[in-house]
This record gives sequence, C-alpha cells and structure tokens, in this order.
Amino acid sequence: MKKIQIATLVVFAVLAIAFCLLESGTLSWLQSGLLGVMSPISRSGSAVKSSIGTLGKDLMTLDQLQAEYERVLSENRKLRAENNGLRDLQQDNDHLRQVLGYRERSSFRLVPALVLGHDAGVWWSTIKINRGSADGITPDMPVITDKGLVGKITAVSSNLSEVLLVTDENCKVAAKVEGTKEQGISAGSRDPVGELRLTFLSKLADLQPGQKVYTAGVSGGIFPSGIALGTVKSFHARELDGEAILEPSADLGALEEVFIVTGAK
Amino acid sequence: MRQGILFIILLLLLPIAVAVQDLLPAIPPFKERVQLLPVVFCFGVMALPLVPSLYFALATALVQGLVLLQIQSGQVELGLTEPVVFFLTWAILLQMASEATHGMRWEVHALGSAAVTLTLLGVEFLVLCVKRGGLPLEMTVLLRVVIPSVAALLIAPLLYFALRKLVPVFLEENLLPKKPNFSR
Repeated sequence: MKKIQIATLVVFAVLAIAFCLLESGTLSWLQSGLLGVMSPISRSGSAVKSSIGTLGKDLMTLDQLQAEYERVLSENRKLRAENNGLRDLQQDNDHLRQVLGYRERSSFRLVPALVLGHDAGVWWSTIKINRGSADGITPDMPVITDKGLVGKITAVSSNLSEVLLVTDENCKVAAKVEGTKEQGISAGSRDPVGELRLTFLSKLADLQPGQKVYTAGVSGGIFPSGIALGTVKSFHARELDGEAILEPSADLGALEEVFIVTGAK
Repeated sequence: MRQGILFIILLLLLPIAVAVQDLLPAIPPFKERVQLLPVVFCFGVMALPLVPSLYFALATALVQGLVLLQIQSGQVELGLTEPVVFFLTWAILLQMASEATHGMRWEVHALGSAAVTLTLLGVEFLVLCVKRGGLPLEMTVLLRVVIPSVAALLIAPLLYFALRKLVPVFLEENLLPKKPNFSR
C-alpha cells in the first residue's frame, strides 16, 4: 500500500471517530447547515410539485370536459339569477371573511408557513416548512392550523424549518379532556398509524367517543392552553392508568399551510 | 482529478436525493416513504474505488444522521455513530460484491439498494426500540420496512442507467463489467 493511501485512511479514521464523538450542539449546528443546503432544492421542488399537481387536476377527457361544461353552464345560469340579490352582500362577505380569518381571530401571534414536504424518515413524523430563523422562528415553537395542534419546531435554518408532528412518539403534549377534570400526556406511537395515545388518565375516567381534547398548557411547557388536539375514539383502563386513543384534530396527512405560534398577542 | 469530479457529483447527489425523497408522494396503503439515499449510496460506493468509497460512505452517514437527528431535552436520540458504522460496513460489502462480479452491475446495485434500505430501516427501528423501550413488532412495522425496500429495488435500475455513463468519463479505471455478460 502506498504512503498516500495509508495517510488517506488515517485521515478517514480520524474523521469517522470525530463524527461519532460530536455533541448535540455541534450536530444541531450541522443540521441547520444541511437544511440550509437543502432549502433551495426543497423550495423549488415543492413549487414544481405544486405546478404538476395543478396540471394533473386540469387534465380531463373530452367526455369529462363536456360534462364539466354542462355543469358549469347550468351553475352559471343559477348563479346569475342569485347574483342579482347578492351583489350588495358580496363586499360585506369578503370583508367579514377577512376580518374573521384565523390569523386575525387567534389570540396568538402567528406566522403563516407553507408545507414543503413530509420527511421520508420512516420512524419519525416530521414535515418541512418554508419559514426559518429569518422569520423569527426558533426551536420548540408550537405549530397549528385552524383545526388544531400540528406539532413543534425541532430544527431551524435561515428559511427552512423542521416540524415534529404530534403523531410522533417523541412529541409529548399535556392535554385535558373537555367536560371532565381528566388530564394526561398525549403522544404518537412508534407504529405510525396517525393516532394519538392519551395516557396517565384515571382508570375510572368516563370518556365517551367524540369528546374533544385540548392542550392543558402546563407551566414550563411549550404548548399554550386551549388548542384543539384531538377527539376521543376509544378509552380503556390499563394496569395503572387509563388510556384514550385520539383522532388528531388537524388533518396531518393533507397539510398545506400551517401557522407557527411566535407568542401571545 | 477526474475521479475527484465524480466524487463531488456524487456528494452533491446526496442532499438532492434527500430533498427529492421528501417531495415524493407516499406509497399507499400505509403511506410508506420512498428512500432514495440508499440507492445513491449504493451507486456511489460501487462506482468509486475503495478509499474514495469509504469517504463517500462517511458523507452519506453524515447526511442520513443529520436528516434523522432529533434532539429531545438536549439528548440526541440517534447520533452519527450508528449511521457511520452502518454505511461503512455496507461500503465494504458492496465493494466486495463489485469485485466478485467483476465490476459494477445493475443487478447488484438494485439488490444492494434494497438490502441497504431494508437493513437501514430495520436497524433504525431496533435502535429506537432499545433507546425508547418496547418492541412493537406488528404487521404495519414490517410493511414500513419491506415496501420502501421493494421501491428501492425498482427505482435503483433507473438511477443506475441514468448515472452509469458518468463512471467511464470520470474514472481512469472503468468499473463497468469487464467480462461478457449473458444477462445484459
């Protein structure tokens, strides 16, 4: 073996050992760097994907187009008739829609963000969004939609962030059940079926399917109180506590836009 | 020099593969994700000579480790040690496979990609089970490991034939098969 090859292998071994010994702060910094490198690719890829999705929706057969044309023509006649009476109300409606927009009626300061993609990691439930430190985003900020809690920020680069979804086993949320005094800890499961498990409930808790569950907002926690988390699907008593299975309030499989909670108003 | 250019192209493919795999739609019915990184890794370690392929494996481990990095209360759940050991082991095995089959072959690349994906997901699951406790071996867990591996097996030839022209251009020593191959 040549000397140069031996030297290269020694450098390689040193690098490999150094990688293994990196601490969480350095790893977090490196992760932000990688997110920064991936940011332009993810952003442009997401834009292309969105365009392709729109194109796919627009492609129809001639029969479909004919049926669509007839439906639209019929609807147009109906709407023209209705429009005469509604013209004046339209402006009011638009104004009210704007006023009642979620961002405005929320009691939190919210930063809107677009979902760039779901991470391909199989055992972790994470998504990437198009906001980062340049928008004032920091790790551990809660992420919500108008339907309910989505998760929390775990990694941030200048204009891209990673969100750990509530359905991940590591995303633990203190929660309370509507109409009861029951409180517990919600988390996802390793077998990612999209449900939440609310544990540490009383064994005798009288929970019914359909009851709403909200964040409890414990002191020192990161999630504010009163954000919808999910709906009870079932409840069963375990050896030491009770466990409820929840359906998440936010549709985590079809997220397109989310809000990051940057503070209270 | 030319080998260095191939190495840099393959390095650039790593973050691109991660970004693209995040954008690809999930495979029904359990919404399994397609894994492109193992496919690019297999191509890289088989296309490069031994020492550069070890560096490439190290770079892949760094990217994969950082992509999956989760820090909970200051504690790293899955650091870089596991990916470094994993990808170095596979780099050596794939180099041996390349040598045994007299150069790069698309069949070996496809099978290697599936095997790396299968073992990568399996090892991640086992490490998480050790760190978090419990071993929920259910059908959905099995499907989450097997389906991305089958997807890698099917995608690998596409990437192989798209990239194989790079190898003779950038390597003085051609790693494509030297012996006539009846299956080609």
